[in-house]
Amino acid sequence: MVKKHSVLLKEEKCVGCTNCVKNCPTKAIRVHQGKAMIKGELCIDCAECIRTCAYHAKYTETAGLEDLAAYPYPVALVPPSFYGQFEQTDPDRVVAALYQLGFKGVYDVARAAEAVSLQTIEFLNEHEGMYISSSCPGVVRLIKIIYPELLADLIPFKSPVELMAERVRQELEQQGVPPGDMGLFFFTPCPAKLTTITNPLGMERSYLDQAIAVEKVYPAIIKQLNQEQLTGVAGDGPVPFLGISWGQSGGETTILKRKKTNGILSVSGIHNVKRVLDEIDRNNIKGIKYLELSACSQGCVGGILNVLNPFQAKYNLQRLSSGDQQLVERNTGEYNFRLSRKFKAGDVGKLADDFDLALEKLAQLEEEIKVLPGLDCAACGAPDCETLAEDIVSGRAQRTDCIFVLREQVGKLADRMSELAHALPPVMKKKKGD
Amino acid sequence: MKEKYILEKRIEKGDFNKGGEASSKLKDLLRKLGVDSAVIRKTAIVTYELEMNIIIHSEGGWIRAAISREGIQIFAADDGPGIADLEKAFQPGYSTASDQVREMGFGAGLGLVNIKNYSDELKVDTKTGVGTKIRAIIHLV
Repeated sequence: MVKKHSVLLKEEKCVGCTNCVKNCPTKAIRVHQGKAMIKGELCIDCAECIRTCAYHAKYTETAGLEDLAAYPYPVALVPPSFYGQFEQTDPDRVVAALYQLGFKGVYDVARAAEAVSLQTIEFLNEHEGMYISSSCPGVVRLIKIIYPELLADLIPFKSPVELMAERVRQELEQQGVPPGDMGLFFFTPCPAKLTTITNPLGMERSYLDQAIAVEKVYPAIIKQLNQEQLTGVAGDGPVPFLGISWGQSGGETTILKRKKTNGILSVSGIHNVKRVLDEIDRNNIKGIKYLELSACSQGCVGGILNVLNPFQAKYNLQRLSSGDQQLVERNTGEYNFRLSRKFKAGDVGKLADDFDLALEKLAQLEEEIKVLPGLDCAACGAPDCETLAEDIVSGRAQRTDCIFVLREQVGKLADRMSELAHALPPVMKKKKGD
Repeated sequence: MKEKYILEKRIEKGDFNKGGEASSKLKDLLRKLGVDSAVIRKTAIVTYELEMNIIIHSEGGWIRAAISREGIQIFAADDGPGIADLEKAFQPGYSTASDQVREMGFGAGLGLVNIKNYSDELKVDTKTGVGTKIRAIIHLV
């Protein structure tokens, strides 16, 4: 079975508190029998629930360094945000540390990021209208599910990591490495990117083999960095410092602006992303040509699988990319940018397949909403009254799941019981004094 | 034909904070009905412009919407000054919005133009000093 999602639930830790339910941007979670269950068809792997859960019941599972052993030729693909995890450490030293850990090649996704920027500039010059960056898989999935009308506005390019992975495979093959021996490992800052390996976007299959959470590889690197004699192989060529700035929200914008491309707005954090997409839907965003959107606040440095707090990591990246840096990647011809498949809308949200039936259910829905108190307390396990009403109409919940409705019904029942208790059968005589 | 509204919302004069609520609500309802996303987008734009027009120009009014297999009908009815020169009102950039409204970034003179561009049928019924009634239809296919 293909694993569709990366966010999982440790049932024994979940106390059924509904914090994640209320903070989920796609209303994908319901507490059922005390456990916060995720509805797969609505989940976008944005990890907001992992961020929100005070009990650490939501988690994600990635590969680890021990998995290198399964591949005769393991190589590492390092995302731009990764370098933000290290203070006062040059990317070259991080790369050297990775070789020490057993990787036979280390590749900077930042190079492909620079290439994507250059290609995006060309694309924007050739196309009228407004476009949205497709590099954040959390954002792409959000659009597929809630804003399918905007799918055509996504830039139809592969993400930097997939582009790099495709190119690495070609390079390794040219070097004589058998494809079966290759193991392409990506250090992922978030579950959303992890999911793209088993469930890719706009492509048949991912070019990556494994993803290791940044937090899993971090301690081993720190250990290497603390060894004074750390030398060895450096990365292939100059460090793509500008591409590395992609690891934070606004990094893409920095490169585009350098190339005199204007009309760019960067927005980060899934709830902010929703707000800006709502405005676009109403045609109420003017003058913008390109939107750099990231599901995590502050961009990829805000991914939950990182170690450092997003602000320090962002500062670290800014320190690296400051000064008079130049683009390293100038040859965009070596990449195959175009996605092979169109982004497809998620088939969600409909009350029924048949239009008339859906209309009927919509009327029922309005009735159910009137019955519910409108407090959006989530005690029923759904994020708000409207969603509970929807679940009731679809047969997945009951009115009495609402504690207020239940209380009212119990109250009525109690009144009736008391009434019955005091009703006298006609054969009985009233007591004196009654 | 007697219309049953799937949306009926009072819009107050000058209530910029709530601008877009009718449009968002309608978008949500259409999604629940499984309406094609391109149609939803057109509807959202038309509805938003209609409600903003009521907020900006009128003394308040109503947005109502009905749907059938043929299409979505959006009705806007307001008490307001009415549109004195309808022909001009459909020219891009023409606006009677106050400076105050323009300072807020509205009243660029594209409202009716957008409404016309994104709807399949449009009927405007306006009477100076009384109000304006607009019916916009967006076909489902």
